[in-house]
Amino acid sequence: MATESHQPPSASAVDAHTGHDTGHDAGHDHGDDDGAVHVHIASTQFYVGIFVALVCLTIMTVKVSYYDFGPANVIVALLIATTKAGLVATFFMHLRHDKLFNTLTFLAAFLFLAIFIVFTYDDLGRRGQIDNDYGGTIDPKTGLAAPGGLPATTATINDVEGEPPAGPATTPAGGEKKE
Amino acid sequence: MANVSESLPEKAGHGEHAHAHPSFLQHHFDTPAQQFNASKLGMWIFIATEILMFGGLFCAYAIWRGLEPDIFDQSHHFLNKIMGATNTVVLLFSSLTAALAVRSSQLGKRDQTSIYLVITILCAVVFLVVKYFEYAHKFHLGLLPGHCFGHPYFSAAIQNGHEVGTCLRIHSDEMPGSPLWVRAIDESGHEQLLPPRANMFFAIYFVMTGLHAVHVVIGMSILTWVLVKNTRGRFSKEYFTPVDLGALYWHLVDLVWIYLFPLLYLVGKPD
Amino acid sequence: MAAVDIPAIGGHEADAHGDGNAPYLTAKRGIMSWVYTVDHKRIGLMYLMMVSIAFLAGGTFALLVRLELFSRGKTIVDAETYNRFFTLHGAIMVFLFIIPSVPAALGNFFLPIMIGAKDVAFPRLNMLSFYLYCIGVVILLASIIGGSVDTGWTFYTPYSVQTANSVISMTFGVFVLGFSSILTGLNFLVTVHTLRAPGVSWTRLPLFVWGMYATALMQVLATPVLAITLLLLGAERFFGIGIFDPKLGGDPVLFQHFFWFYSHPAVYIMIVPGMAINSELIATFSRRSIFGYFAVAMSSIGLAILGFLVWGHHMFVAGMSEFSTMLFSALTMLVAIPSGVKMFNWTATLYKGSIVWASPMLYAMSFIFLFSIGGLTGLFLGTLSVDVHLTDTYFVVAHFHYVMMGGTVMAFLGGLLYWWPKMTGKMHDELKAKIGFVFVFIGFNLTFMSQFIMGSRGMPRRYYDYLPQFEPFHRASTIGSWILAVGLFTTGYTLLEALWKGKRAPRNPWGSAGYEWMTETPVPLANFRQTPVITRGPYDYHLATPEELATGWDEISEKPAAKKTSQATKKD
Repeated sequence: MATESHQPPSASAVDAHTGHDTGHDAGHDHGDDDGAVHVHIASTQFYVGIFVALVCLTIMTVKVSYYDFGPANVIVALLIATTKAGLVATFFMHLRHDKLFNTLTFLAAFLFLAIFIVFTYDDLGRRGQIDNDYGGTIDPKTGLAAPGGLPATTATINDVEGEPPAGPATTPAGGEKKE
Repeated sequence: MANVSESLPEKAGHGEHAHAHPSFLQHHFDTPAQQFNASKLGMWIFIATEILMFGGLFCAYAIWRGLEPDIFDQSHHFLNKIMGATNTVVLLFSSLTAALAVRSSQLGKRDQTSIYLVITILCAVVFLVVKYFEYAHKFHLGLLPGHCFGHPYFSAAIQNGHEVGTCLRIHSDEMPGSPLWVRAIDESGHEQLLPPRANMFFAIYFVMTGLHAVHVVIGMSILTWVLVKNTRGRFSKEYFTPVDLGALYWHLVDLVWIYLFPLLYLVGKPD
Repeated sequence: MAAVDIPAIGGHEADAHGDGNAPYLTAKRGIMSWVYTVDHKRIGLMYLMMVSIAFLAGGTFALLVRLELFSRGKTIVDAETYNRFFTLHGAIMVFLFIIPSVPAALGNFFLPIMIGAKDVAFPRLNMLSFYLYCIGVVILLASIIGGSVDTGWTFYTPYSVQTANSVISMTFGVFVLGFSSILTGLNFLVTVHTLRAPGVSWTRLPLFVWGMYATALMQVLATPVLAITLLLLGAERFFGIGIFDPKLGGDPVLFQHFFWFYSHPAVYIMIVPGMAINSELIATFSRRSIFGYFAVAMSSIGLAILGFLVWGHHMFVAGMSEFSTMLFSALTMLVAIPSGVKMFNWTATLYKGSIVWASPMLYAMSFIFLFSIGGLTGLFLGTLSVDVHLTDTYFVVAHFHYVMMGGTVMAFLGGLLYWWPKMTGKMHDELKAKIGFVFVFIGFNLTFMSQFIMGSRGMPRRYYDYLPQFEPFHRASTIGSWILAVGLFTTGYTLLEALWKGKRAPRNPWGSAGYEWMTETPVPLANFRQTPVITRGPYDYHLATPEELATGWDEISEKPAAKKTSQATKKD
């Protein structure tokens, strides 16, 4: 262990409260400062406050899940989750006082993910919308929608669209097992 | 004040111009700020790749849930909301301690940093233990992905009889390995009959949470490495980048779980 | 520079990694100095060696495939083996050669030099990336030996789930290669953002760097999805999770969505670096500032972003919804805009330029010609109504070979010849390089133009056998592949010959204004003796001093070199 305090590259290596962005993004990033690392340091109480908010949101999202909003269930859950994620990213991950480009990188990931999910989901949601026979989502025999393609040939799987079998009696003989 | 001291000049070559280059500064960087910014940007880009990797699974989840909303509703009752919420809070707390570890490191308080890192790692262990109990329960019920769905191989533990209750598997025909129905009691005490297609819910559940658990383990390893380095005095007010990056990775693990928890455990029709 | 008060700058005379001014090739000696190297130049060279071997292997399979198709029925192998051959040709060429070729080999070598940096931002990550690539190669080779794969490089389900071949190990190899690709991309992005020398502003970034930047964006954003796709494919095979299986409630077309969300950007990961090299070549050998610098730079970024919006055009007949096919078809048309911007700006750069017909320029010009054909036939295929008829015919095969081979490989060869003096310190024989080019050009066009004709007449791709009316075209194509091979071997020989017989290369043999030519040849370990301070753009021939544009032949004592100058560069 080195015992003597090494002379840091600059007098004030850590700027405890300014939180100013270290330089612009052109050329070397130390154009206008001393080349040392400057970061914003929040207080412990502040971090604990964020944690408390996150726990409250967690409790909220669990409580809310006992109510049925129909299709809005997902939206409500995602809104709360995004708020939580936003708190974590902004404060725990220091994006608030970090370089803007890091935030852009983070958001770009979500943007491209959204492109991926929206286009793919849109395709599956619209199969057979214009031409029923196209896309293979309609079972020609029953006229029912067959999720993800035509149903398989075994009898049991066809039952998925209708009533589930009441019990072992409806299944082919010899196949049941009870543990 | 030992905390502020520089790390050992373990790379002998750096010492030659140590008056200009602190020992932690790699030769191709000019200033500590430049190195710090590069490391941070690199970590954020890495986080973006991780988000997109998990994103593929979220896409698969969205598609499947869109295709089979009823089976989703039926299946998601087998996930224990309380355990999920507990794990959420555990991870959030570990995120807090990770953030505080970075703060201590930025202030040069080495011992405090170590304590916070230890708490973070312990939280990760707690998370994995809770996860183990959740997984074990699914195994007991035979609620497993693909061919394993309802497979009798996993039934031995059911004889123990505790919260599992009865679990009934029904062969659809005599072919070995053919799809099975599973009758079991869910987390809210209702008996459910799950069709073979419900295996997909558990497939997605296991792949998503499994990949997340892998990330938890990786995060623990990274934090342990950081902890060891920290106790050896490699970090200081001027150089805390590994603590910062390790914590960022850990927050990412938290972020993914923040989305996994409601999407798997909560959304869907309540009883 | 502004921060002159920081004594570290330029102070690497006694650098930690040895003498920064020693030539990188001889600064350290011995095999271990290569194994443990973190120097981006050495890693670039090692990558170059590996991708060249991959190119040789992939090319061999291509020749075998063509040979099999020389006559109808069985020519050399049976149908099963044929399936493996084209799969291996595709997989090796895509994953082992084209994707890492330009970024990992030439990009690694020149990106830091072109921005005046001493290395990439994370040298050890760079080394890891290289070794991951090597591991990926080993796994791929192992799976070839242990059963091979006959799914085509696309691994489409359900066949890839059912076939008894070593799909798992193959996809695992690709998975590892993906990580290698991500690390390279990540490194480049951070390097460009944080390590630019004083004066290298975003508007002075060489277009090669812009192209690498755009490529890195795609590598970073798309490759993770490939990783998860292959993970799901593995889970599907191991556990039968059914996410791609309609019997269990999944959707086979979903695999294609997953796959092409990566692989369409991957197509641009392949072509954008080629365009990036071409911008450098056109500017240097026209002795002109590139026309529309900003537009060319932004078109690279535009391609990177559009690459994420058009993946559906690979799936028009796969059973996608009609609405999606129309949407993707319309979006695909947008790709023509940035591509067109590049083409027109290159031709405008040539206009009234002092064109030097050096061998790299021949490749650059053929890039423009061949990429026009490849790009425009891409528009046919992007048009929904036409694509329905052309899907999975040789028209598609010819189209993407015109883009991949006629575009990227041509640019790669041009870039190799262009930068070979800087990389190795030796000049190649221009005459041999030009002869090689003629063979490559003729052979390439003969091979693939006949495939356009076959494809438009309905010859399906990947077929082992064909109808009698296609025989002349298949024969022409096979003969073309031989001519192409002769050309490639000639070019390869020319480059290798330069290593021991070539004359010593001067600092700037082509008289370029680019930043990478400012440093000496061979490149010092730290790239520049002093961190350069840049005061002009990389294509500002009107601002460059005569010293900067001087070829430097006179600095070299060898007498015959002077004769070479007039031969190689002084057409104007």
